[in-house]
Amino acid sequence: MKESRLMLVQYVTAVAAVVLVSFHLVMQGVIYPYTTAISYDNILSVYRNGFYAIFLEALLVVVLVHGFNGVRIILQEIKQSKPWTTWVDVGTVVAIMITVAYGTRTLVLAVFGGSA
Amino acid sequence: MTDLKLVVQRFDPFRDAKPRMMEYPIPRREGMTVLDALLHARDYLDHSIALRFSCRQASCGSCGMKINGRPRLACYTQLAELGGEKVVVQPMDNFAIIKDLVTDLESFFAKHTEMMPYLIRADKEEMEHPSAEYLMKPQELEKVLQFTYCIKCGLCTSSCPTVATDSVFPGPQALAQAYRYAMDPRDEGGEKRLELLDGAHGVWRCHFAGSCSYVCPKGVDPALGIQLLKRHVMSGKVPHKEGAKVFTPPVPQK
Repeated sequence: MKESRLMLVQYVTAVAAVVLVSFHLVMQGVIYPYTTAISYDNILSVYRNGFYAIFLEALLVVVLVHGFNGVRIILQEIKQSKPWTTWVDVGTVVAIMITVAYGTRTLVLAVFGGSA
Repeated sequence: MTDLKLVVQRFDPFRDAKPRMMEYPIPRREGMTVLDALLHARDYLDHSIALRFSCRQASCGSCGMKINGRPRLACYTQLAELGGEKVVVQPMDNFAIIKDLVTDLESFFAKHTEMMPYLIRADKEEMEHPSAEYLMKPQELEKVLQFTYCIKCGLCTSSCPTVATDSVFPGPQALAQAYRYAMDPRDEGGEKRLELLDGAHGVWRCHFAGSCSYVCPKGVDPALGIQLLKRHVMSGKVPHKEGAKVFTPPVPQK
């Protein structure tokens, strides 16, 4: 993928992360008091709420893509060689896939009644 | 007037393990520049000081160096504007040192050349042997004019934090020139240049620190050119050009 496309992804996920994280903080810090928000029962009920589960999955993907793409950019500036570039690019995709899969697993287990 | 303490970084890569600082007392005179002080030190105190200079009027870009920690042209920096009794002179950062204040600009010029800093025409024959003049509108000239003032001194590149870590990054000078030619209405090679810049070490590695524009002795704003270049690289095309109007000057009548 061209670097301009990856940077477009970076900018879009940055804006999306600000919107989603703001909404999340308002919901979990202002509308619900923080101490209630982090209680186990409340977290489970949030996970099992369809709208919020989709919202959390979106937040997970957006933040991880933005974060790992940012790390990729930093790593590309540290060292310059074709193998390094390839390893960093492949490593970034793998890291995003693993972390998104792990986060999604937590949500899925909670939604379907397993122990999250 | 009291003497000035001129502290010069000395380093010969073939003889020295690391750079050392040497101090020279220089008698001040009115209107003295850092280059004048260095030439006084070299002519009367130590013939072995190596420095590069030529025009002495900020036109050739040869005497770029770090003066009191900031990249400047030695010929364009008055001692009076620096103030204080001591002036520390070091070679530019981000370049290999050939000797003392002389840095190796080979990669700098290679990156400049990579950007194809010349007008490209689709018609090769016309490019090599233009049949007429190509006119620009004043508004079109305005867009690129400041970038034509670049004297390739390397100060912007020496101040760039990305160049410090990414040796493949073209640097602010080369990128500003890429913008200058890509935006020229007489040029037809804009897309080719944009393609060149859309890589992992291209235009996107500029983080807009702005130090290049801050240190430019000619008032060029490379950081602006790079940000505008990003917009065109993102869209994948240079802005619509009406195309330069061919103008055939009248043949003088005898």
